[in-house]
Amino acid sequence: MINDKSSQKIVDIIQNWARKQSIWVLAYGTGCGAIEIPPTMTSRYDAERLGVRGAATPRQADVLLITGYLTTKTLKRVIRVYEQMQDPKYVIGFGSCTINGGMYYDSYNTIKVLDKYLPVDVYINGCMPRPESVLSGFGKLQELISEGKANGAQEYKDNLEWYRANQKRIIPNWVMPDYNW
Amino acid sequence: MEKIKANLIEHIKTSFVTAKETDFDGNRLDFLVDKQCIPSILTYLKDRLGYVHLTHITCVDWLEENEFELIYIVWSPEEKVKVFIRTRIDREKPVIANIDMIWPQAHTYEREFRELYGIQFEGLVAPDEFILEDWTGPPPMRRDFDTAAYAAETFFERPGREDAQDVRETITKRSGEEIPDFAKKYSR
Repeated sequence: MINDKSSQKIVDIIQNWARKQSIWVLAYGTGCGAIEIPPTMTSRYDAERLGVRGAATPRQADVLLITGYLTTKTLKRVIRVYEQMQDPKYVIGFGSCTINGGMYYDSYNTIKVLDKYLPVDVYINGCMPRPESVLSGFGKLQELISEGKANGAQEYKDNLEWYRANQKRIIPNWVMPDYNW
Repeated sequence: MEKIKANLIEHIKTSFVTAKETDFDGNRLDFLVDKQCIPSILTYLKDRLGYVHLTHITCVDWLEENEFELIYIVWSPEEKVKVFIRTRIDREKPVIANIDMIWPQAHTYEREFRELYGIQFEGLVAPDEFILEDWTGPPPMRRDFDTAAYAAETFFERPGREDAQDVRETITKRSGEEIPDFAKKYSR
């Protein structure tokens, strides 16, 4: 009964519905985009009514929200944070800087394309994206989760070597624990 | 104010004969000195003349003249005068005396210059890394370091930016305004 395909489908639907209704966000706010998080979370836009809430630690979070540029130094910490998160986990790239470098396209220590280093499920463009577009990004993520298409974590596991090679290209001194779950 | 400044110029010129002063409007006074004089002139200003506050240290890269210029800004809360002490050092072998025994906060500035400009401070005791991590390239704030080329070679690039239009020209065409000559070289 449990290995039955059609009943698994029902389980998946219920699972995805539950996952999409409670998104706990770990905001990695080292970029300037962090300034848009307080209005999104507080009474004016109130993301909590959509089930979006802040999480205190990586292990309690579902979504890693990367707000803006990442330097080579912070990328190392972000990778570490991402690998500590438990499944199900998703990444939202927030702002132009995570998409193509934004205004830091010629900087010597900021990365330009985030999805070469971490599996990004949803990008929110804009410099800065307003709280409306942040909410629409979360809405898009919920849509993808309920359709079962937000499987960046699985991609990361499958293509770990490719991601590692890209990460090690800019982090030569690799002192991180192995990613083995 | 003028009296205070004239008095200060006299004091400095008597003790440091090679110092060249420039008098600016307002409360700003500027001295160009040799690099050997830096610790002594700063100590003199701090201990004798009451310039107890080190506001800032900054570095200018004069690539064409093959020199670095270091500028120490000190401030006297009593006389309300800002004194700029500037010195030139050789760009090939940039070595200068360490002043973190005069003002401890200079330590942070010196570590920054050592990392971003490659200036060596004699007797500075600090770990090699300051802001950058695992940096192997040349000091990145030097003007001959090509950040765009370095970024293009080190980081991935998403296609689509290379045909970006020059917004300045579009705007000037629309509004009929002319681009001044000095601004033309910044247009793509």
